[in-house]
Amino acid sequence: MSEFIQLHLLLPGQKATIARIGGAGALRRRFIEMGIVKGEVIEIERSAPLGDPVEYFIKGYHLALRKEEAALIEVFLHD
Amino acid sequence: MNISQPSFKLDYGGKIEREIEKLISAFDECNFDTGRYPRRWLALKLLEADEDVLVRVQAAPNGQKILSVAQTGSKHLQDMLGDEVDMLAADRRYGFINGVVRQALQRPRLDRITLTDRIDDIVTHKWLGLPVFFAVMYVVFRLVIDVSSPFLDWTDAVINGPLANWIRLLLDLVPLPAWIHSLVIDGIVAGVGGVLVFVPGLLILYFFLALLEDSGYMSRAAFVMDRFMRVVGLHGKSFIPMILGFGCAVPAIYATRTIASRRDRVLTSLLVPLMSCSARLPVYVVFGLAFFGSRAGTVIWAMYALGILVAMLAGMVFTRTILKPDASSAFVLELPPYRQPSMKSVLIHMWENTREFVRKAGTMILLASVLMWFLLNLPWGVADQRDSYFGKVSGAISPVFAPLGFGNWETGGALVTGFMAKEIVVSTMSQIYLNDLEAEESAPTTFVEDLPGIVRGFGEAFISSGRIFLSIIPGVDLVMDETEVEDTVLSIALRERFTPLSAVSMLVFVLLYVPCVATLGAIKQEFGASWAVTSAVYQTVVAWVAAFLIYRAGLLLGFA
Repeated sequence: MSEFIQLHLLLPGQKATIARIGGAGALRRRFIEMGIVKGEVIEIERSAPLGDPVEYFIKGYHLALRKEEAALIEVFLHD
Repeated sequence: MNISQPSFKLDYGGKIEREIEKLISAFDECNFDTGRYPRRWLALKLLEADEDVLVRVQAAPNGQKILSVAQTGSKHLQDMLGDEVDMLAADRRYGFINGVVRQALQRPRLDRITLTDRIDDIVTHKWLGLPVFFAVMYVVFRLVIDVSSPFLDWTDAVINGPLANWIRLLLDLVPLPAWIHSLVIDGIVAGVGGVLVFVPGLLILYFFLALLEDSGYMSRAAFVMDRFMRVVGLHGKSFIPMILGFGCAVPAIYATRTIASRRDRVLTSLLVPLMSCSARLPVYVVFGLAFFGSRAGTVIWAMYALGILVAMLAGMVFTRTILKPDASSAFVLELPPYRQPSMKSVLIHMWENTREFVRKAGTMILLASVLMWFLLNLPWGVADQRDSYFGKVSGAISPVFAPLGFGNWETGGALVTGFMAKEIVVSTMSQIYLNDLEAEESAPTTFVEDLPGIVRGFGEAFISSGRIFLSIIPGVDLVMDETEVEDTVLSIALRERFTPLSAVSMLVFVLLYVPCVATLGAIKQEFGASWAVTSAVYQTVVAWVAAFLIYRAGLLLGFA
């Protein structure tokens, strides 16, 4: 099994499966509420004009996260 | 109060369910009162280690015992199932949701590239994103300012013409002392009317903002602007209240409710009043036209820009001092598919936001107008306003403004009344300077005679606003000619007391000094009195320093 990597390191067009969710309290709860849960497939769509935040596609909808927050989510990359 | 138990219960699986049972029986054994919370829910939240719930339970009698039972349970589940309980529970919930969706919903085969994707390719594009955003904002503001101006004139004419006349006629029906007449007409109608004039502009502003919000563009704007707003310590979503601040700070502060983190809300609300609200525009216009004639537009533009600049600096300072970013200021934002906004919800938005403003006019400004009238007319029979209470108070504080280039008592007084609402600065000045030049009394008319005029006026406003609307399309010019810059009596009076430099200093001060009482009221309601005081103090200090620097620098450079 490949190593986990942090979500913010992925590039547009790449797909990954969520492995671990860090963060604490309200932020972690917010991730979970938004459907960022273990085993979910997440696709990197595009970054904002100034490079941050980044738009993702998960559970059939579009979600924007700052890189700072995306770094708390660990994924394994699909080939 | 007990929330009724739902008939449906989601099964979290044997192991978690057993821990829930254990905790529920622990509630009884430890004599723990779950209060208004359903017991099953509370037990699950304890196992999930939900921070808010942990804090509350700890504070409750016998809470410690419950917490230790919960901790053991949580730990046990995590060891056994290899994951945190909040994640396990979320998995169960999503599993259930997926099951229901699969049974109930037949998804149409989705085109991989939807219309939303294609729009987003443009509006969030690497190079096009920001220009598109600024273009949208520019068009919205042109629309709001230009399209609303004929309606503003119309409301102004109706309030000061027919409406004031009718009230005069009504007052004549009852024998009342003359001072009551004066209080109602010169105090209340002039004061409240002066503010209600802005209602058409606000309606149009909120109409377009609601369109942007309901269509889904607002969240793209937050997405595009977030990196930029972060420089100042703000959140992408803060930008919506900031934009609203150009209309009126009061609804803008209420609009911060869409931001999740309290820290971000407080910071946004401290910066919103630095956006030049529509109430400050009359002050800019009057001074701009009096001192800079055809270049007034540049001066007004500079005031807007200065407000934004000061907000950025203040944001950076606050972020590094009393409002350091915390974990709650995360940016987790859904970008929903674009939708056609429903007229009904757009109208509700418009109404709710405008209502706040009208309420302010009906309370704060009504009070302020009455108070102002008394201060100007007491002690009884005062002939010169300088001898009124108002004149005395203004005279006492005016030395504070002397280093800024406008130490006369009239300006001091106008600034004090501006605390009630910034546009009152202009109306106070005209009340003081032009008290002997009362508007010519028009012949009394009846309701029936006035009505056609009012309707005709509205029609004309509608047509000219339509012309302006079309003129925003490049290459179409239906607006007849630039209106002549008239030298009003007020401009002449102002030129006797100000130099162009002290006028600029005055405008800078008006832009930055203490937010109006309604804005402070909103801040107090949302975040408590200490933040309202912070807001008032920091802005006044910043205003004084900025006006001082500009005035002194101007003198050094040889401007007068």
